[in-house]
Amino acid sequence: MANKTILEVQNLTKFFTTPAGQLHAVDGVSFKIEEGKTLGIVGESGCGKSTTGRTILKLLEPTGGKIIFDGKDITSYSRKQMRPLRQEMQMVFQDPFSSLDPRQTVMQLISEPIIEHKLLKSKKDIEDRTLELMETVGLAERYINVYPHELDGGRRQRIGIARALAVNPKLIVCDEPVSALDVSIQAQILNLLKELQEKMGLTYIFITHDLSVVKYFSDDIAVMYLGQMVEKAPSDVLFANPVHPYTKALLSAIPLPIVGKEKPKRQLIKGEITSPVNLPDECRFMKRCDFADECCKKCNPKLHEIEPGHFVACTRVAEGTI
Amino acid sequence: MAEDLVLDIKDLVVHYETEDADVCAVNGIDIQISKKRTLGLVGETGAGKTTTALSILNLIPNPPGVIKNGSIHLDGKDILKMSQEDLQKVRGNDVAMIFQDPMTALNPVMTVGEQIGESIMLHQNISKQEAFEKAKEMLKMVGIAESRAYDYPHQFSGGMKQRVVIAIALACSPQLLIADEPTTALDVTIQAQVLELMKQLIQEKEMAMLLITHDLGVVAEVCEDVAVMYAGRIVEKGTADDVFNHMRHPYTEGLFDSLPNLKQRGEQLVPIRGLMPDPSDLPPGCSFAPRCPYATEACTKSIPPLKSVEGSKTHFVACTAYENPDFSLRRNENGK
Repeated sequence: MANKTILEVQNLTKFFTTPAGQLHAVDGVSFKIEEGKTLGIVGESGCGKSTTGRTILKLLEPTGGKIIFDGKDITSYSRKQMRPLRQEMQMVFQDPFSSLDPRQTVMQLISEPIIEHKLLKSKKDIEDRTLELMETVGLAERYINVYPHELDGGRRQRIGIARALAVNPKLIVCDEPVSALDVSIQAQILNLLKELQEKMGLTYIFITHDLSVVKYFSDDIAVMYLGQMVEKAPSDVLFANPVHPYTKALLSAIPLPIVGKEKPKRQLIKGEITSPVNLPDECRFMKRCDFADECCKKCNPKLHEIEPGHFVACTRVAEGTI
Repeated sequence: MAEDLVLDIKDLVVHYETEDADVCAVNGIDIQISKKRTLGLVGETGAGKTTTALSILNLIPNPPGVIKNGSIHLDGKDILKMSQEDLQKVRGNDVAMIFQDPMTALNPVMTVGEQIGESIMLHQNISKQEAFEKAKEMLKMVGIAESRAYDYPHQFSGGMKQRVVIAIALACSPQLLIADEPTTALDVTIQAQVLELMKQLIQEKEMAMLLITHDLGVVAEVCEDVAVMYAGRIVEKGTADDVFNHMRHPYTEGLFDSLPNLKQRGEQLVPIRGLMPDPSDLPPGCSFAPRCPYATEACTKSIPPLKSVEGSKTHFVACTAYENPDFSLRRNENGK
């Protein structure tokens, strides 16, 4: 049980065709997640983290690669074949303001997946289950007949979580679940997600741009840049010893709530994320990298293991020159 | 010191009077900012931060917004007593504002050069041509190539658009810059660049800045002074060192405890229980009392005034618990 791999993604790609050319949203991403663990996917907007999450759930059709969920290769499953699997893989969305139907009550919202998947038949059972779910996510019973607009962001996100839990999933993809919330509410939701994981043995893919949240939450962290993974390591290792120049810059850019003492010097990276359309075969971070030299132009570096479990994609690290 | 005072708000009260209720958004706050200094106004959604900022420019939508009480002095002049005409001269010239979302703050059918030039032409008697030349200079100052003055906003990325907004705000060399969550919509690496730029320009142009944010990390990065706002009142204020390293108010402690710590992983976060009170129905006494782990009977009796902490000239806290001289926050005790 301890080491059962629940999801394996091999060389996943998702390209979009645009008038300007091929847009490489996800370009050769591979990882494995063990049951009950959390993988954090971090990166800036446009790095392909959300597309990765959506492609894994087959909400988007992958362009290439393999998705193996619970031992089954679901890459070429049709919508119909996916339907029973939807019960096992769910998603929590970023914005609790736009992901809930404004014309449905809390009762309708939470019971919808139960009815949709025909998990329970009688009205009484459905209502009981809805109340049970509300209790699980910490929504008071008196909210059962209210509409989402009457609730604050934190409570709305609890509805989103209850909807995901309604079908007893094994895997939940959380796409920026707390970034629309205030810090004090954020902490409540993070605690809730963690509690649920311990209680139900859930596996999470946690997509976020907020590195402090991801550190708090994840066992492993993958850093993405322009559709590719540039570094992957266990959470503690990544924060203690970031190796890729982009990871280093990303960590140093977090504004720390510390004044005066022990504040590390920041290193700013120049420029902005470049266009993901028609990418040449060279390091994608090169143009913003302080360490870039001639060898970075030669090829797009692949992930390689520098210590057990710690992977980095950087030509200069591979050569041992930084 | 007093001569350098740019903004002086005294006992400001702003209500939104609707048919259903009287929403008490801002309930008697004092804010002072001097030249070359940045005050961080921190608080959660609904604390009244943005209402405070809008009242400085007398931009509160009226009705329903009403400034009930208080005075706002900008460089010695009382904003609230000015005529609309005089206000127009102040807005954008003496006081400029940067909004959260650069995507919606710019006009999509005007080149950025024209947009920057427009604000210069409004306040200075110069030709369109000269204004455009000045606009190019401003672009250069915020780190954008002059040649891009002919481009439209959609041709810029989020970080670049925010730089354009900063260029517009600074075009007339204002004395006071109000930045309402200026980097919230940006990625961390871009946020770091923009904050660095703002910090540098404040010193160069000798401005004062009011920075509104919910991100304590950003405050630590940019601000010399901090005011923590809760339910329309300032509950603690002081220098950044006072508030970050010697915090006194239970709400401030709650905010810090809610942050995931980069150093330790996996520990349970300590959220503040409950929710911000409804501003149309504030509890009697201290508005934080219903959520406060230290609250006692006395807290619900009267609204605690801001009092100096141990005679400090900079550090003030509004908390009844300090009537008891032995009281201290859990965080401070552990720290010792």
